[in-house]
Amino acid sequence: MNTISRRTFAALMASAAVFAGPALAQQGDIKIGYNADQSASGAAELGLSGRYGFEAAIEDINAKGGVLGRKLVAVIRDDAAAPPKSIQNMNELIDNEKVAAVVGPTNSGNALAWLHIPQQKKVPVISHVATATDMTARYAKESQNYIFRVSMVDREQLALLSAYAVKASKDKKIAIIADTTGYGQSATKDLLEILALHGVTPVGVEKFGPKDTDMTSQLAKLKAAGADMVISGSLADATAQVLKSMEKMDYYPGLLSTWGSINSPLINIAGPKLAEKTIFAASTTADANPKATALSKRLLAKYPNMPAFVSAAQGYDAVMLIAAAITKAGSTDGEKVAAALEDLGAVDGIIKTYNKPYSKANHEALGVADFHLAQWKDGVVVKLDNAVVKSITAADLKR
Amino acid sequence: MTAILQALASGLALGAIYGLIALGFNITYATTKTFNFGQGAFLVPGSLVGVSLVLLSVGKPHFGNLSPAEMTFMAYTLATVASVVVVGLIGIALYYCAIKPFVGAAGLNWVLSTIGFGIILQNTALAIWGPASIAVPSPLGSGVYRIAGAGIRPHEVLIAAVAIAVMVGLDIVLRKTRLGKALRAVAFNPQAASIVGINVERIVIIAFVISSALAGLAGILIAPVTTASVFIGLGVALKAFSAAIVGGLTNPRGCMAGGFLLGIIEALVGLWRAEFREIAIFLLIIIVLVIRPAGLFGTKTVEKI
Repeated sequence: MNTISRRTFAALMASAAVFAGPALAQQGDIKIGYNADQSASGAAELGLSGRYGFEAAIEDINAKGGVLGRKLVAVIRDDAAAPPKSIQNMNELIDNEKVAAVVGPTNSGNALAWLHIPQQKKVPVISHVATATDMTARYAKESQNYIFRVSMVDREQLALLSAYAVKASKDKKIAIIADTTGYGQSATKDLLEILALHGVTPVGVEKFGPKDTDMTSQLAKLKAAGADMVISGSLADATAQVLKSMEKMDYYPGLLSTWGSINSPLINIAGPKLAEKTIFAASTTADANPKATALSKRLLAKYPNMPAFVSAAQGYDAVMLIAAAITKAGSTDGEKVAAALEDLGAVDGIIKTYNKPYSKANHEALGVADFHLAQWKDGVVVKLDNAVVKSITAADLKR
Repeated sequence: MTAILQALASGLALGAIYGLIALGFNITYATTKTFNFGQGAFLVPGSLVGVSLVLLSVGKPHFGNLSPAEMTFMAYTLATVASVVVVGLIGIALYYCAIKPFVGAAGLNWVLSTIGFGIILQNTALAIWGPASIAVPSPLGSGVYRIAGAGIRPHEVLIAAVAIAVMVGLDIVLRKTRLGKALRAVAFNPQAASIVGINVERIVIIAFVISSALAGLAGILIAPVTTASVFIGLGVALKAFSAAIVGGLTNPRGCMAGGFLLGIIEALVGLWRAEFREIAIFLLIIIVLVIRPAGLFGTKTVEKI
């Protein structure tokens, strides 16, 4: 997710609200850092649920005797979506807490602000939420790239949305609507490129301000252009306002959106009925497989208000991959762990069994083939399985 | 045609909000030649205090989400009254902290002091409510009225109706009542007003209370449209300030008209190119200021040397 940098002074507040780790670390324990927005931005819920999954995985590993005979300990930090706070957390986790690896952040902008820190200090990072396409690519040419990901990647989820739109639109009348934030505009750029691969020129490309609440004028143009599939490149709150404007105009083309729509602002702002009208990309849902169902039930029992299961699953899997790498490396030395991550065998996760998830060239554990489409139904996220989804083949997933 | 009607319908509610806040600028400017540059921050307690009171009344924590059933018309009305009273009282604090020490003195100290007061207010709200936004259901439900194909929500109609009622009410108060006459007397000549027995400071405080209360009202009215959060005020208040300048800072009716004008221009320009809205508005302001420096409805002031 992209950062919402307008919240600059959120950093001031956040500095007063540093979370304490749930358990005190003993000598010899292995610390894993967690640095993600859990309170501020439209994507905060992904960071919060991610933490629940992160902690559950550490619990499970410790119940089986830990890693290398040592207990794993979570060190949790909230960056409140503010880049300065996120940088400060990162330095603190690495220099003071001496964590073996870090999971996070929530917002891509924050990641881009501190990627150089773990890279220079040789501490592996697995991004379990942030989706900016180029995050894992920045240090790809260095002798060792320390930035990994087990999350949705923007370009990959937009590839899935585009494939669906091309199949579902009658006359290939597809349109794009996105906010003017960095997130919205890079989504627009990716979409234009991907649709071009399908040989489709959108019938309309509209933008709106990040705080706008009325998109009727933009939608009127898309309606006039005959768009029957619209792809939204925004976070949940903006997509909710797009839906509300569609309701005002009684114009309901198919609305496709990124996984931001999994966040509750969509439901809270648009209302549960209207929220069902957008189809979005997700890496997993609570009904995707038995392990996912079990984890979702377990977390919901502990956190009845857990908002987004998908990032909990990704947080869980990030810890599993780190634990497997530390075991393989036989050490918590960052250089060895990063090398081990690139050379893992099969690792059981919630989303899938990862078989050699990373290599020197590939730092993405999940790709478009792992994603599916989902939808809100009666207040829960369910997997979408209609004729259009079934007709999408691997060849359609152009990116 | 439908699209234009839709734009007008959409511009109406925001225009009404701009008008309400612009009127607040007018009232204090007329009496003290100062106004609250931090007015945007006053929308924040306006929306959050009201919403939190409704949340607390249904037994939830002060920060959370309301279900539509919990937002009854009665609850919303009481929340609105509470917001207006609380923000009105903050207006008294504003006067003593940021206006009184500087009023009448040369220089622009009051500009910085009111901005500072707004920042203090906003950050206090941030400490209490945190940075996330609260989705606020409308007491009138989430339906849509349809007029010739254009949709308008009941809440948008409510905003416009309440705003127009308040503006007309204030207009009558300003023109017909003793209080209104006192306000205008202070605006015209504070020394003379004081000589004829008007308590100038009391009148000025009342002006700031009204001005702040209007911002509070705007905050709670707009919450179901924009969501309630610590960050809602700034953009809206800047537009409202522009509305006051375009309409004429010295003319209350001009400020209201300026608000509606801006809301509607914004929506109509959006029909053409959404990203040109701000450009169009601020170009308009510059043009108006060049042609009519006192605003479209403002009275020319002659500086006597």
